Amino acid sequence: MKRSRQTLRPSQRSHSLSFEAIGTGWQLDTVEPIEPALAAAIADRIEDFDRTWSRFRADSLVSRISKTPGVWEFPPDAPALFDTYRRLYAATDGAMSPLVGQALDNLGYDRTYSLRSSGSAFAVPAWDDAIGWDGHALTTVLPVSIDVGAAGKGYLVDIVSDMLAAAGHEDFVVDGSGDIRRVGPTPIRVALEHPLDAAKAIGVANVGAAICSSATNRRTWGDGLHHVIDATTGLPTRAVIATWAMADTALEADGLATALFFVDAELLAAEFSFSYVRMFANGTVEFSPNLDGELFT
Amino acid sequence: MRSFTPQKPAIAVFAGLALVGALAGCSTPASDSAAATTGAPSTSPSDPRAASTYKDGTYTESADYQAPSGTETVDVTLTLASGVVTAVTVQGHANDPQAKLHQGQFASGIAAVVVGKNINDLQVDKVGGSSLTSGGFNAAVEEIKADAAA
Repeated sequence: MKRSRQTLRPSQRSHSLSFEAIGTGWQLDTVEPIEPALAAAIADRIEDFDRTWSRFRADSLVSRISKTPGVWEFPPDAPALFDTYRRLYAATDGAMSPLVGQALDNLGYDRTYSLRSSGSAFAVPAWDDAIGWDGHALTTVLPVSIDVGAAGKGYLVDIVSDMLAAAGHEDFVVDGSGDIRRVGPTPIRVALEHPLDAAKAIGVANVGAAICSSATNRRTWGDGLHHVIDATTGLPTRAVIATWAMADTALEADGLATALFFVDAELLAAEFSFSYVRMFANGTVEFSPNLDGELFT
Repeated sequence: MRSFTPQKPAIAVFAGLALVGALAGCSTPASDSAAATTGAPSTSPSDPRAASTYKDGTYTESADYQAPSGTETVDVTLTLASGVVTAVTVQGHANDPQAKLHQGQFASGIAAVVVGKNINDLQVDKVGGSSLTSGGFNAAVEEIKADAAA
């Protein structure tokens, strides 16, 4: 289920805490060991996040919202996530939306991972037709299935990073299965994993803050079916097969990595500060000239 | 605004970059299937004799561009063998990696076919990719494969 461990260069961050959370692997590399109390607090915080945002949990807030319209109070982590989604929604002309949950369900990417398409595309409602966000409460005028999978894990990587920093850690890396936040005096070198061959890299990026990636090939369960949904069509995207985005926060990097499947980078550059690489189905790559790193082309 | 490393002949660098453009433009039919995995030299179908006038070797060009944070540099290195580009490497030197880009600057990204290198041969701290996906998802895919085989 996991790829074999790659050989990584020796690190000063000799302490490493690995665990499974939100269904995926996490690794926190630190110079000083993470105290058990902090590790427990991090686990609790991730659980809190999951209880709000997981579409796959019957007891989550977004699951309740998917059943009935209403006015829903959200916890304090919500504004940053909704605000980032709103900016991405505008910059992608509606293609990137948090309302794609039902479209994913219809295609089989659902709570039980049925991975069986119901055979029809779902018309994703327009943001302003379905929901209103006032900064702490969400008003829904119809049952909407919220899916923040395109930026939520990056945001959680930021949240865990902030907890480490608040506890006094000054040199660390938080790796949420490839969504990575670096805090410390020097950048880290991150291999850009080849989307068609996990043993290979297409380049290396020097990352001083955050890098997130998205690829469609790894979560594919049928002909042209994967988890990156264009909200304007309700169908998976096709031409781009992998993206990497580097930004100041993993929240933005994660969201941008998905947005780069939908639109060209210049549309996003008006709204966000980032660098990026993206790879197409024909094997070519495109990158921003502000990329700090190298590509093997 | 461009500058060249002093030991390299500027004329050949320009010729080489033009060749990259030509290859990128006309390589689609030949490279569709093999594009992602091979770095094998491809030949320019237009005029082989023209290509053969370039000396074999490795050429580097540095290009500067203006970002709000100041001047940023990107180095492009390419290798010519028998008049054919066999490798292109791009090295960015962003002073401010998160420098906000203006529209149009993105257009300078080169659309070249990418070649994979073994991660074990690279000195890196982390791997950025999606291979470590959700355990539940992977288990479900395995189940479907098993169903399909039954």
